[in-house]
Amino acid sequence: MARLKLDAREIESRRAFFELTDDDLARLASLRSFAERHSKEIVDALYELILGHPDSRAFFSSEAMVQRVKSLQREYFLGLFAGRCDGPYVEDRLRVGAAHERIGLAPKWYIGAYSRYLRLLLDRMFADFTPADAQASYLSVSKLVAFDMALAIDTYNAAYLDTMARQQAAIRELSTPVIRVYERVLLLPVVGTVDSHRAEQIMEQLLVRVVEEQARAVIVDIAGVPVVDTRVADHLIKTTAAVRLLGAETILTGISAHVARTIIQLGVDISAMHTLTRLADGIELALGLIGREIRAKAATP
Amino acid sequence: MTRGPIPILRVGDTLLITVHTDLHDTVAEAFQEDVLAAIEKTGAGGLIIDISGLDMVDSYVARVLADTGRMARLMGTRSVLVGMRPEVAATLVRMGYPMEGVQTALGVDDGLALLAAVNRGK
Repeated sequence: MARLKLDAREIESRRAFFELTDDDLARLASLRSFAERHSKEIVDALYELILGHPDSRAFFSSEAMVQRVKSLQREYFLGLFAGRCDGPYVEDRLRVGAAHERIGLAPKWYIGAYSRYLRLLLDRMFADFTPADAQASYLSVSKLVAFDMALAIDTYNAAYLDTMARQQAAIRELSTPVIRVYERVLLLPVVGTVDSHRAEQIMEQLLVRVVEEQARAVIVDIAGVPVVDTRVADHLIKTTAAVRLLGAETILTGISAHVARTIIQLGVDISAMHTLTRLADGIELALGLIGREIRAKAATP
Repeated sequence: MTRGPIPILRVGDTLLITVHTDLHDTVAEAFQEDVLAAIEKTGAGGLIIDISGLDMVDSYVARVLADTGRMARLMGTRSVLVGMRPEVAATLVRMGYPMEGVQTALGVDDGLALLAAVNRGK
């Protein structure tokens, strides 16, 4: 919720955009007795809609739950006529939105319910007041409802962004496995798109592992990288340079015909790297660097 | 053998220098002079500079280190820079200072092995 950054200035700016004036708030406060008089039937009618639709009814497991939520809804409804639109009011609205997001109630139910609210209020306002008063009252309440709706949608967005950030962190963690294939030989299979952020992370992690394992050779296999453009090539060159500074060598494998063509056409100079197509060749080369070789066993007679 | 703040050890035909202190301007110059004087005096075939004690290398220090290696080379001495920390390597590359032409190795052992291999082929 802190991430929504709803300080006094932001609330002020929103109110200005929703044209929610002090007059509106005063008018809403004066409707308090009207709201209290109708709150029960309006909330009941709202739940008629919600419980009448099989998908929204699914959120309610028992009659006791319906009763509890109805009483919360009544509080929420009366909140519209408190004549306030300050920090605590906004926080209360955000809490309501966050609670709905947590139970997985999609914004469509939210907005549909608001629409019913407005229609129920419209009918009762025109029944109770003169047409001019009813119209003014309706305009004021519809502004505050729109203001509330925006807050509710913001909480959904904030929650989605949170989830996305968590998932991105998880993907990043999974995306740079540095494997020790032999004593002093490391293998880094790069799979998927390499953006600058990920490239930096790959480099940092790889350098730490090179020193930890005292690796002499690092095989970077890019067979799983869909597109190698100048930026990706530049990252590979930087990583190779940094690995070299530590005293190890980089072998780039998994270079397809397509990637080879791209690299040359882009005019990227990767001559400082050992480059090979097959990972197996890369492993042989790496073993050669540490004075080992793969040999066929003598044929058994 | 030791004169300045950075000790220079002799291991067989090789000079081994372990840099612990930050190589700021005056120290760096004295360091370079000491190393070259030691090469002149001993006629050492190899030079190993161990920088595992440095957690920061700026472009000035990087240049001093690279230059020292090049100067030693002019005097017929191969040099190897060993023990660079991962964060130092990453920073140098990001700054666009990859110290091309400088021989590197992971540690003193590797550095000695590298010098032995190079000098064997000489």
